[in-house]
Amino acid sequence: MDPGLRRDDTVFVGVMEVTNPALRRANLESLVEAQGACRATPPLLLSADPYFDLAGEEFGRRLLLTTDTTGAEYCLRPDFTLPIVKSYIDDGVGEPAAFSYMGPIFRQRENGPAEFDQAGIELLAQPDGDVALDQVLTFARAALSIFGVAPDIRLGGVGLFEALLVQADMPDAWRPRIRNRFGHPEAMNRLLTRLEAAPDAPRGKQPSRKALVADITEQMVAAGLSLSESRSPDEIADRYLEQQALDAAQVPPATLKLLRDYLAISGPVLQALTQVEALAAQHKLMLGAPIRTIRRHLDGLGEARVAFDAGFSPRLDYYTGIVFEMTGPRGDILASGGQYDRLLERLGATAPIAASGCSVWVDRLEAEVSA
Amino acid sequence: MTGITLAVPSKGRLEELTREWFAANGLVITRPGGARSYLGAIEGLPDVTVRFFPASEIARELIRGTIDFGVTGRDLIHETSESGPASVSIAKPLGFGNADVVVAVPDAWIDVTHMHDLADVASDFRSRHGRWLRIATKYITITRQHFARAGIAEYRTVESLGATEAAPASGVADIVVDITSTGSTLAANGLRVLEDGVMLQSEACLVVSRTAGWSARRKARLDAVLQRLGTSAGF
Repeated sequence: MDPGLRRDDTVFVGVMEVTNPALRRANLESLVEAQGACRATPPLLLSADPYFDLAGEEFGRRLLLTTDTTGAEYCLRPDFTLPIVKSYIDDGVGEPAAFSYMGPIFRQRENGPAEFDQAGIELLAQPDGDVALDQVLTFARAALSIFGVAPDIRLGGVGLFEALLVQADMPDAWRPRIRNRFGHPEAMNRLLTRLEAAPDAPRGKQPSRKALVADITEQMVAAGLSLSESRSPDEIADRYLEQQALDAAQVPPATLKLLRDYLAISGPVLQALTQVEALAAQHKLMLGAPIRTIRRHLDGLGEARVAFDAGFSPRLDYYTGIVFEMTGPRGDILASGGQYDRLLERLGATAPIAASGCSVWVDRLEAEVSA
Repeated sequence: MTGITLAVPSKGRLEELTREWFAANGLVITRPGGARSYLGAIEGLPDVTVRFFPASEIARELIRGTIDFGVTGRDLIHETSESGPASVSIAKPLGFGNADVVVAVPDAWIDVTHMHDLADVASDFRSRHGRWLRIATKYITITRQHFARAGIAEYRTVESLGATEAAPASGVADIVVDITSTGSTLAANGLRVLEDGVMLQSEACLVVSRTAGWSARRKARLDAVLQRLGTSAGF
């Protein structure tokens, strides 16, 4: 099932007269139905554990939680992606599938819990990730155009950053540490600042690994800690020695400058990509393929104002490839999404499966119109 | 209604120190019914009602605005609600009940001395152990905020309402976020506070609710009382 680009739907929506709220909603409903996809209607009440497992406490604090008589935690549906993808995995993965949805989700906000409507699509195991992302972008723009919004689009390059990181000159042990902070500017800045500072004074002679493991084991036993349930003496000793080695094996200043310069790139997409290319040439990095991938999507975005922000990424590490946000004149994020090829594995699939999708904030779109 | 309500911790050392502090500032809090009564007064100030509550309830009610001012810990204001600090005004730190909310790891984790080490450990904990790093704490809100600022997302909290320091040994959690005044209980349990692991320095404070309905008359009454205590509402 490959619905392709369905440009006819966009045109169909584009010529509809935008007249009143009910019609706009009906148009959005038809857009969701017209995606050539299964209409997904996951339950409102979901087990909370998968959300905590996938997204951690940071997202967990946004859930509306309740417990059953055994103490098991449930939440009101906080998004559509997770239940859709989980049930896809449970049904046996492999076949390309497309899902679309529209309905209420529930999240805690600063000023109290709230119910919002979200619409969106999920494209799973599609043969061509580029085509799938184009369909996602087209869907999001069509949804916004129903509400008369010509958005500002912000693109982020997760794949581009990962390609840069693999090639940048540094001790291997630093790569995952830097990757882990991508999308969190303050944490990244702290790490880079730490790496830029002069190395610690050389430490005393390294203890042997064997002696370390023995010491740690003794301490753990004395404190009544299990040697296997949590971090093991071997793991602690290895990371300790690795830390010592890292203090000696600094990231070269030129690489730190490269990372700083790269992450600072943000602006109109063509200009920003030219800057990335210049930086790549200067540092002899092969970033042609991920840059071309981003450029290919620009054709489909037409006249929209598109910016590329090198440091932009959701904090969740299952995102891959390209991510995007669309904002309206009021500055609200109206649609967001991208590619997340690592999501299905994180949820239990045994092999990587391409995935892309987006969600659209219906209530914010309605606010754009009434503003 | 023109009267105002003061909430005072209902028992223990905190009640004692609070009443001593008010007395030292010339206001004598009376509790006519003794320790079993939850209603009191201030001598010479008939329009101030004193209510005795557990400190955590005082924080909650100040944030909600159902009591006007009271004595509670800074930690409880931060923990009760993310909007807690914005919903109240700290009129005066009282100089007792000092304790820090800290992140502590097993002593044996010799490779973890700072929050950034914890970020590294947390980021691949799941792939090594098939589960998230677990943090035992009763300070879930503070932990979430502090860890988010440190860029650590890969963990789960385990709510612990007592003897948090025992959680690593009992296998309930890997590390703890706990309150400590001297660190000795943590040390006795083989736990070590990270060098940048102090998340919040707490003490007992005189706290004014911003969300209580402040008519001009009630606000004037409050200001008069606070002035006698050598402070002001700050709004």
